[in-house]
Amino acid sequence: MQYDEEVDVVIVGSGAAGSVFAAKLAQKGKRVKVLESGPAWTEKDLYSSPIWARRLRGASPQLDEKGKQHIYARLNSGRGTGGAALHHYGVWPRFQVEDFKRKSLMGTGLDWPIEYKDIRMAYDAVQEEVGISGDAKAEVWRPPGAPYPLPPVHVFKQGEKIAAGFESLGLRVSPIPIAVLSRPYKGRNACVYDGWCDAGCPIGALANPLAIYLAEATKNGAVVQTDSHVTRVLTDKKGKRASGVEYKDKGGATRVQPAKVVVVAASTVETIRTLLNSSADQHPAGLGNSSGLLGHYLMAHPAVVAYGLFDDDIQNYLGASGGQLFSQDKTAKAEKAHPASGRRHWEIALALKPVDIQGLAISRPELFGVDLERFMQRAARGLAAMTSLSEDEPVKQNRLVLSSKKDKYGMRLAEVHYNISPNGLALYAQSKQDGMQIFKAAGTRETWMGPLHAQHIAGGTVMGSDAKSSVTDANGRLHDVANVFLGGGSVFPTLSHANSTYTIHALAWRSARYMAENWNEIAK
Amino acid sequence: MAQDRRTFLKLSGLGLLTYSVGGASLLMTPAQARAKKVPLTVLTPDEARTLEAFGETLHPGASEAGLVHFVDHQLSLDPDDCMSLVKYFVNDPPFINFYRAGFKSLQDYSKAKYSVSFVALKDADRIELVKTISRDNPKEWPFPPPAPLFYMVVRNDTTDVLYGTIDGFRRLGVPYMPHIVPPERW
Repeated sequence: MQYDEEVDVVIVGSGAAGSVFAAKLAQKGKRVKVLESGPAWTEKDLYSSPIWARRLRGASPQLDEKGKQHIYARLNSGRGTGGAALHHYGVWPRFQVEDFKRKSLMGTGLDWPIEYKDIRMAYDAVQEEVGISGDAKAEVWRPPGAPYPLPPVHVFKQGEKIAAGFESLGLRVSPIPIAVLSRPYKGRNACVYDGWCDAGCPIGALANPLAIYLAEATKNGAVVQTDSHVTRVLTDKKGKRASGVEYKDKGGATRVQPAKVVVVAASTVETIRTLLNSSADQHPAGLGNSSGLLGHYLMAHPAVVAYGLFDDDIQNYLGASGGQLFSQDKTAKAEKAHPASGRRHWEIALALKPVDIQGLAISRPELFGVDLERFMQRAARGLAAMTSLSEDEPVKQNRLVLSSKKDKYGMRLAEVHYNISPNGLALYAQSKQDGMQIFKAAGTRETWMGPLHAQHIAGGTVMGSDAKSSVTDANGRLHDVANVFLGGGSVFPTLSHANSTYTIHALAWRSARYMAENWNEIAK
Repeated sequence: MAQDRRTFLKLSGLGLLTYSVGGASLLMTPAQARAKKVPLTVLTPDEARTLEAFGETLHPGASEAGLVHFVDHQLSLDPDDCMSLVKYFVNDPPFINFYRAGFKSLQDYSKAKYSVSFVALKDADRIELVKTISRDNPKEWPFPPPAPLFYMVVRNDTTDVLYGTIDGFRRLGVPYMPHIVPPERW
């Protein structure tokens, strides 16, 4: 066993949360080391290719999946520096006021230990640092906050066509809130609307960790060490304080990185798995699991893509992958017609490529042979698409436990038991119905819906004010271990309808600030 | 051998892979590798014949575009580096196990339903069979992976090889607009 030199903070994972922790703590003069399981990427590696883009997602995490619904862990995670945020689409709506009080307002699920007003400042600060394009006034569903620093992204013909469908049904649309630069911002280039978001954005127009927070972190002295897979968090003899982490280096050797504070931000699945695999005599059920809830309340967005085929060239190859417009009209329980609790939204006018997960070919999986060839020719310029995300209710039975199978390092794999909640399914069903209506109203020749799938895995280490019913406190700090913090969607007690990356950034920003302000108590 | 930028872009657009021939690494498209009968590294000759027949049914032109050499190349890589969509939908690498089981089931199912292997089926029967397995897992389909999953993954491989490169975009009239042109292998 080899020991590295002790640092103030070791951060497991270099994605959305890990990069923010690294930037903010390095800025405060802390000695920070980030251990990233995957390879080092630079902007030069972000080839514009739907096939090469798949390198940004690995063959891990490997899972045993026992539920009805796949969580698509590899689609929803990343490999290497930047994690999933390197290839994410940048749709950044805020969680809404009521998302933080689901149980109080709706009687199901959980409440957060914080309210919207407690995170609003972090949302505003991250927005200013990252640069979000949008129109806060037009986005009438948006909770209070500073106006977006950048004007909306451009709307091409696809967006105009679909918007006409919404409007003919009396539904409002707004510019999409998106972490893609509509204008040059803080030395970064503006988007050129070529739709390569999924392959990573080498010009830095899309908010990814390489362009923003990892750059800030390394400028302030943080070290990002790649090909270093953390297997366990280590603790002192009493099990009350972390002493560092154990990891496998590029050659497979076992090393220990001692640290005063540990941040685990390794994606929802890997964060939970790491804590469960960190069991020891003092915490036999896993680190931070005195509540017995580590791994529980796993959630994902029930997602569905609506497709419509137009006869004319709608410029579907232009724009950002995440879309051009947004709508939340008539998608909430508060409106009596709605059958389920929770919310939904539409991301409208996705930029499309011929192949891959957001490709023309996969939109009609039943077609093959000459029918597929004919469809591809028609879809190349005429296919329109929009995605609906719905809220998934936190359900205790949805959980991640350890499998009896092991990875190449001898650590137990994750076993996932996940079924979309009845509420989530009801919301999804409503989106299916609405999507057909909207596209028909828009004048499509053909309209159809894609399959139900899961996006944005969250929960499993939920935050709360009571150590008996949650895993971390309101700052993402383990109730059981005073110097271990968690980052990422795993700490969410509810998932909202909103894409998670913005809130992951905001929570990490808030937790890092808390750590810096209370450093002596935390790192004692 | 040094290439000028024009040649490099042209080669990249064709979706070149690196093939080992006689101990030397050569840049070729999967179609060229097929035409030159470059030896396969993972797939057996039987598996290659099955994949070619299945792929040609899924999308005419896929076999000539080099589907077999494309899939063989992806399966020869470390699973993390694999660039087939199989990586997203199949939990347990090595992914050759997925394809191998799928080929076996396809052949067995064909023999159970039509008394001949898939490769020996008439075109109309191939189409009928594929239509069936694209929707459901028939009870005569003997092993995992489920038939619709196998269908979906190989179908994606065919569309990758036909439409996933600059040439493929061009065939559809879709502008490629690269920030960074993919390097020589793909």
